Amino acid sequence: MSSGAVFGVFIVIAVIAIVVIVFLGNYRLRDTLPQASVTARGYVIRRYWLGLTLVVAIAAFITTLSYLPYSQPRIQARHYFVVARQFSFGLPKVVPLGTPIVFDVTSADVNHGFGIYTPSGNVFAQVQAMPDYVNHLQVVFTVAGHYSVRCLEYCGIAHAAMQGGFEVR
Amino acid sequence: MKPLSVTLPAIGLRVMWTYIATGLAIFLLMLLVGISMRGSQAGWWTIEPGTFYSLLSLHGIGMLTAMVVAGLGTLWYLVSRETGLDARVAYLAYAFFVAGVACVIVSIVPGHYGALWSMLYPLPFTGTYWPTWATGAWLVGTALVMLGFMIWCGQILGALLARYGGLGGVLAVDYVLHNRAFAKLDHEPPPPQIFAAAITAIDGLIAGTAGLTVGVALIVRWLDPTVAIDPLWAKNLTYLFGHTFANLTMYMAVAGIYVGLPICTRRAYHTSVPLVLAWWGTLLFVIIAYFHHLYMDFVQAESLKLVGELASFLAAIPVVVITVYGAVLLVHRSGMRWTLGSMFLFTGLIGWVVGGAAAVLDSTIPFNVDLHNTLWVPAHFHTYLLEGVVLFTLGWVFVNLEQRAGASSGALIRWLAGLGVFGGGALFVLGFYIAGAAGVPRRYAVEPPPGPYLAGIATVGAILVLVGLLVVAYEALRLARLPRSEVAP
Ligand code: HEM
Ligand SMILES: [Cu+2]
Repeated sequence: MSSGAVFGVFIVIAVIAIVVIVFLGNYRLRDTLPQASVTARGYVIRRYWLGLTLVVAIAAFITTLSYLPYSQPRIQARHYFVVARQFSFGLPKVVPLGTPIVFDVTSADVNHGFGIYTPSGNVFAQVQAMPDYVNHLQVVFTVAGHYSVRCLEYCGIAHAAMQGGFEVR
Repeated sequence: MKPLSVTLPAIGLRVMWTYIATGLAIFLLMLLVGISMRGSQAGWWTIEPGTFYSLLSLHGIGMLTAMVVAGLGTLWYLVSRETGLDARVAYLAYAFFVAGVACVIVSIVPGHYGALWSMLYPLPFTGTYWPTWATGAWLVGTALVMLGFMIWCGQILGALLARYGGLGGVLAVDYVLHNRAFAKLDHEPPPPQIFAAAITAIDGLIAGTAGLTVGVALIVRWLDPTVAIDPLWAKNLTYLFGHTFANLTMYMAVAGIYVGLPICTRRAYHTSVPLVLAWWGTLLFVIIAYFHHLYMDFVQAESLKLVGELASFLAAIPVVVITVYGAVLLVHRSGMRWTLGSMFLFTGLIGWVVGGAAAVLDSTIPFNVDLHNTLWVPAHFHTYLLEGVVLFTLGWVFVNLEQRAGASSGALIRWLAGLGVFGGGALFVLGFYIAGAAGVPRRYAVEPPPGPYLAGIATVGAILVLVGLLVVAYEALRLARLPRSEVAP
């Protein structure tokens, strides 16, 4: 799975959320308390909860800044032109292993998505292919083999059949 | 400030039920469309790609319009309890919705339009498999829906500005900034549901303006094919409209929590300073979060993507710290009875949090590289919409029906409905999540493995949802037919 770890994190969050919400709702539901005494405690806890979520949100945001896919394309890197059109890709046949390369991606007609999949079928990288614009996608391949390419933006009747591929060696 | 006058409850209720009944009827039809698509992706039957994409276009706009219409009806009634509203304006907006939906159906059924509900220029014109007139019917239809929405927003915002003394009053600025003085003057801030209505109206007008701008540009392009539009400009406006339109359905439905849950728990939901601050945040974040739809457009400025990421993260905080947390506190040890109404309102909180968590993960740029335009996207929004917005809407409907009839449903019915809607729903969305994490693209009429296999499991889940909802519909009709109860339940 391309995103197995993200899926795992998601399942953990989902289970915690379900358990906590169901528990707080059902716990001694019949054993009533006046609203004021529930909120008195609840609002104290809420302050910590707010602090925690704020810290997590800001920390996550700052962390992602070091993992952005938008590196400035290097001048000395090899550039490969990619043209998407309904319903095929114009691609290089072979690209080199272990060195930074830049795909200059555009479209001859409508919006498409240039999605690169590893030989084992995981998403490796992607960028939009848009008419009138060229998107520069810089990558380094570390595993050799046949990479397939799929369209990742709806583009018309044969969108699901719009595929291509190249060798990395 | 005291209300100048309020609308007669009977008038407000008639508007509300007209809107809700229309919304839920469209919802049920679109659900069948959804099952037909998922079953086809599973290989249970075959829908040709052209028809598949026409159905997907219909399902997308139809579902969202259904939930918007239901939400607007509820809010209209709730606002009408605070101030006078002219019902004719509500029916005018309604007429726009009906006319818009009619145009959309014409563009799909005889026309075979298939550029999807969030069509990206130049798609609806280039390399199409449907006649040009169908594109026109679609564009006019969606513009009519936007106009209906904006008429509603205009009426509600106008009424609220008059009722609460300007924007500062509606947004409770003095209440937050000069809390003591405010209390001394014996003033009261608007009740919580008014914030839902006001934020819907303000963000709705902004999003509607963006949507109409690109909509009119596309209509001009349709009339004169020599006109050229900048695709990046169109993409920004399309997503500004689309994201906000879809996201606001939740902030509309949340009014059911503010007004419905207090009925179930016999407790009060008051406006507080944190609640107002949460709505200020929402007002802003809902509008600027849409930049996360353009993470993979590297030509767009990087700073805008970071704005989108931060706004997407921060948008979650008012939800989990104030709204959901507050709703759970409201229920906690309240002695609330489980009825279909209270059950739906409460379980909707789970769908909201879980779908929201999946959305936040997807809006994390390093993760988005792998998830963008995979089935993870429909996974998160079906969780949020089907298990959140729809449940809040149904919860609100049932709280009203139960209160009116002084009766509720038996445990068997509750279990059947819960298992179908929640158990089936979980299976249905899990199919999307797992496929999305495995990199299966969204919007594929025919999916690569493991897509079809997971689609099969998801279709079973979706059929369980349908069965659960049929039980729910039966109960709704049963309760609606009972005579009005004289005593409050
Ligand atoms: C059990 C009920 C439902 C089923 C079986 C269903 C099925 C589907 C399927 C198969 C897709 C296409 C996914 C893809 O391959 O990209 C889809 C997309 C979508 N659905 Fe649903 N759906 C259901 C409920 C809902 C609800 C309740 C809403 C909204 C309130 C909704 C709104 C949408 C939207 C906005 C799209 C995206 C359309 C697009 O990609 O352009 N659906 N649904
Ligand atoms: Cu495509």
